[in-house]
Amino acid sequence: MTLKHGKALRLVAIASALALIAAACGSSSKNSSGSGSGTTASQSIPTGGTLTIGAEQEPDCFDWLGTCAGSSWGLWMAEVNTIPLAYVASGVGANLSYIPGPVLAGTPTVTSNPETITYKINPDAHWSDNVPITCDDFVYTANQQQTSNDIYDRTGYVDIASVTCPDSKTVVVKYKAGKTYASWQNLFAGTVGIMPSHILKGKDRDALMKDGYTWSGGPWIAKWNKGDSIVLTPNANYWGAKPHLTQVTFKFLADTSAEFQAFKSGQVSMIYPQPQLDVVDAIQQGLPDANTVYNSKTASAEALWINNAKPPFDSLPFRQAVAYAIDRDAIVNRLFGKLGVTQAVNSLNPYVVAAYSDQNAWSNYKLDLNKVSSLMTGAGWTKGSDGLWAKGGQKASFTINSTTGNKRRELTETVMQQQLRTAGFDMKIANQKASDLFGQTLPAGDYQIALFANDLTSPTPGECNIFCSSNIPTPANGNSGNNWYRVNIPQLDTLLQTVDRSLDDQTRMQDAKQADDLMAQNQVSLPLDPLPDIVIWSKNIVGPVGDNSIEGPFWNMQDWGVKS
Amino acid sequence: MLTYILRRILYSIPVLIVASFFVFWGVRTTYDPTAKYRTSKDAARVIAEKKKELGLDRSIFAQWWSWFTNFLHGDLGISYRTNDPVSSMIRKAVWPSLQLMFWGTIFALAIAIGVGVYSSVKQYSAGDYAFTGLSYVGIAMPPFLFGLLAIALLVTLPVEKFHLSQPIFYSVGLHSEGQSGFNLDYLRHIALPVLTLTVQSVAVWSRFQRASMLDVLNADYVRTSRAKGVPERNVIFRHAFRNALIPLVTVVALDSAFLVGGLVVTEQIFSISGMGRLFLDALTGGDAPVLLGWFVVVAIFVIVFNLIADVAYGVLDPRIRVG
Amino acid sequence: MTTAPVLPDVDTELALPPGAEPVARSNWQLFRRRFFRHKLAVVAIVVLLLLLVVCFGASWIAPYPKNQTNLLITPGGPSAKHWFGTNALGQDMLTQVLYGGQISLKIGIAVAFFSTVVGVFVGAIAGFYRGWTDQGLSRLVDLFLIVPELAILAVAIERLGRSDNAFIIVLAALGWMYIARVVRGQVLSLREKEFVEAARASGASGPRIIVRHILPNCIGPIMVNATLAIAAAVIAESTLTYLGLGLQPPATSWGILLNQAESAVTSTSQFYLVFFPGLFLILTVLAVNFLGDGLRDAFDPQSPH
Repeated sequence: MTLKHGKALRLVAIASALALIAAACGSSSKNSSGSGSGTTASQSIPTGGTLTIGAEQEPDCFDWLGTCAGSSWGLWMAEVNTIPLAYVASGVGANLSYIPGPVLAGTPTVTSNPETITYKINPDAHWSDNVPITCDDFVYTANQQQTSNDIYDRTGYVDIASVTCPDSKTVVVKYKAGKTYASWQNLFAGTVGIMPSHILKGKDRDALMKDGYTWSGGPWIAKWNKGDSIVLTPNANYWGAKPHLTQVTFKFLADTSAEFQAFKSGQVSMIYPQPQLDVVDAIQQGLPDANTVYNSKTASAEALWINNAKPPFDSLPFRQAVAYAIDRDAIVNRLFGKLGVTQAVNSLNPYVVAAYSDQNAWSNYKLDLNKVSSLMTGAGWTKGSDGLWAKGGQKASFTINSTTGNKRRELTETVMQQQLRTAGFDMKIANQKASDLFGQTLPAGDYQIALFANDLTSPTPGECNIFCSSNIPTPANGNSGNNWYRVNIPQLDTLLQTVDRSLDDQTRMQDAKQADDLMAQNQVSLPLDPLPDIVIWSKNIVGPVGDNSIEGPFWNMQDWGVKS
Repeated sequence: MLTYILRRILYSIPVLIVASFFVFWGVRTTYDPTAKYRTSKDAARVIAEKKKELGLDRSIFAQWWSWFTNFLHGDLGISYRTNDPVSSMIRKAVWPSLQLMFWGTIFALAIAIGVGVYSSVKQYSAGDYAFTGLSYVGIAMPPFLFGLLAIALLVTLPVEKFHLSQPIFYSVGLHSEGQSGFNLDYLRHIALPVLTLTVQSVAVWSRFQRASMLDVLNADYVRTSRAKGVPERNVIFRHAFRNALIPLVTVVALDSAFLVGGLVVTEQIFSISGMGRLFLDALTGGDAPVLLGWFVVVAIFVIVFNLIADVAYGVLDPRIRVG
Repeated sequence: MTTAPVLPDVDTELALPPGAEPVARSNWQLFRRRFFRHKLAVVAIVVLLLLLVVCFGASWIAPYPKNQTNLLITPGGPSAKHWFGTNALGQDMLTQVLYGGQISLKIGIAVAFFSTVVGVFVGAIAGFYRGWTDQGLSRLVDLFLIVPELAILAVAIERLGRSDNAFIIVLAALGWMYIARVVRGQVLSLREKEFVEAARASGASGPRIIVRHILPNCIGPIMVNATLAIAAAVIAESTLTYLGLGLQPPATSWGILLNQAESAVTSTSQFYLVFFPGLFLILTVLAVNFLGDGLRDAFDPQSPH
């Protein structure tokens, strides 16, 4: 799996819906609504009106299957609203349900030996040119995912043996004998979706899609004015609930402070800013006519990622000692305390996959200088006269890499530098462009520790991708593995592979918990903060507006309206 | 005059060629075009293929030469990031930036000359000190801070204080949704970006104008005029001003390149998709073809601007034309 | 006011024939006397020296260790314990501003010095000797001119790494052309004047004429340029930080502090984060400016005050 530019690594993980359908709100498969802030869908929504929303990043292209589409904003603004998704993480706030999207009629059935999934397509579902959405579209999509050269992430499709069509509205996906993909709900969902075979088959998909496309299988039609905005207008031929609004414009605003001013002065009516310190401060300064929602139970987890193969971090006591030297709670409290986030997270699995994790796995790693001393001396280090640990002539000195231009991360590094110095470690800072960090440094292993966040694109577990030893980038796998952290623990491999493959949910949950605990014992990386989502919108907007950490807060805009 | 201009153009061409080579060398050695392939399957083979395809195994001079000949045909290559032709990306980005530079230069010149002349004539007066102080605040404040302050004070504050339904000045883009052309909406959009772009230039130019006016006002030929009984107003505007303009013209022409740099911050803050934004996106994305094309287009623009300045030189001081 | 004619000082300048421009003597006494008459320049020198002492002596003067964070206190404005307030990490702003000054002043002064020296040298030679020398040097100036400073800086920092020395080299290399052009223009103008003829007639050599006769009359723009170069260097560094290309922590500078205070600009409660680094920067720039005024007056005996 290749990586995107931008602040986070995105994973596609294995699915399970059961544990997540704990939300009080039931959702029909037709209309997605949910609990959370804002009015519910039952209130009457006025028709008409337009909306201007501030967007912090512009996607590089609109080819959602290809390597240049690793952009969260592109997915949140355009993909979710124009591409039919087999499964949608529905709801707002902390409780999301991963349920079949409107394009399916009912829940797909799954049998094993070999794993076979049968989809029934909604008989009403059709594209914006009135051509029905059929099994051919699924066949085309799966084929692209398997064979096209320019694919962002093939996870789950590689082991598919066949996709067949008993009739035009029924799809049968069969896996190869002995291969299973437990998170099958991610098929034809997430960053992939369902592509129109009648428009793309036999043609250059990338060329036809990358600059935007006029067709749609969702409630909106998207138009991309490069450099300026993305404009959504209702898809007149949408078979589901049509939008109340007549137009939504996403304007690209790169500077966060300017974005805030644009919101306060009414030039945009909604923003979804990154949780930078400026943002927290700006919110504290007061936003009178606005609804503000913070959600710390997100699909993101920011952590201190460790290269377990590079000295001095190839030693377990050293990794643990560093973990005991940092006061993670104090850092998180300082960064996000005003948003109600006062403690560090204790799992490398974000909250949305809590059922497949031990959210307290790292909770023992608190600031404890005595433990630091005992671990380091036990491993043969002694404190020099300058207060730094040294062993065999080498000082306990290392470098941290992160992305440039991110004030929150720079502040985090500054504080950690101090705390580590007190504990006897010398940490240097070397930040780089995101494209260099994710595109070269991390995959090549040219780092010791790195500070960045992982974003899940579906509420399904699947850490084998990033922690199984077979996924360490080597010439053997064509340098394409995502285990940048060079974690190599055989017992962990077994557990994570079971989570990937077992079709029994209880087994998956148990093994995932065990895997988390094992990783915490081995201190493979150090979780830090949950990267809270912040959604701010004008009180003029009515409807079920809120945060959806997976699909983005714009996933249900067809249910919104504006008060005049 | 015509030969003068032609000669200047002729001299600019080798400069452009040499500059393009150095920029090419700099960009090519800083940004590796095969970098994004390092993480693909079978990276070594893919990279070797790409190297051949892009001609990276040739000497830097050969690479530059083929890039340059393509450039002469109007082909600036394809962006690494978006796969769009660089020339079309630049063509789209040039227009908004030209607008900012054009209005900015006029606005800044007017203010700078006015303030500079006033300050020099009434040197050490309260007004002079006030302008000096303001100039230095303008010079010493980073443009991004100034822009944000301007937005906070002139866009957001009036809306909040007076409960306006629309802001007086806008801070996003150059036109409101659905609007275009030169109208009041446009002026309300372009006012603050122009101000932010030029605040440093206004401050700098007015200082230069003041200093060179002072130098000239104290010169002997000015004394002679005064001694002869020429009215002070004529002394200032017919004798001193013309000669004091010469350094200012120099500085304004030189600043054209500086202003282009200022576009980067201004366009970022005011969400204008011009050359500044194009540069920043290319820089953060390691997009070498766009960077190269950008530098060359900007270089041509600066050369043209400097040519205009040289003509102005010649008009202001005939003796210089000989050089 | 410059309107009333001023009687020249009673000194040797009176001996020159009427109409000829009095030349600045290298008479140290005269120079010093004229300089000290300019009160603001004197104040400026004192302020500058103070700034240099305070910033480079930060290890002795600053109340807290450099960069020391304190996550237990709430950030706040100026108080008894923290004269300049504290920022989000609990760092004492007085300490940060003082230590920041070391880098900013170093970069600013070094860049101003090198770019001015190189620029004056190139411009004077080009303007005085004209012909092919002028052509060659002017083409060199053009070469450096046609690329925007910020853009080259961004790419160069990529190459050279983010140290303050890299900034100095690149900023100086991109800053000398302005003063070179200005000085060239001035020299071209002035070389035709009678006093130069007179000097040449009396046997003075080229360089002597340039240094002792022409350059002192260009002091105005030269000093203005030096002033602006200091401010411009610090601003360039701050802008690059804003764009994500600045110095890395634990380095701190006024530019970095201003950048960290981006959101504070629009808030009354946090304005102190912008105010103090900005104040120091303005003080520096003003001080150099008035110093420049003083120097210009000191070189030119007929400037009224």
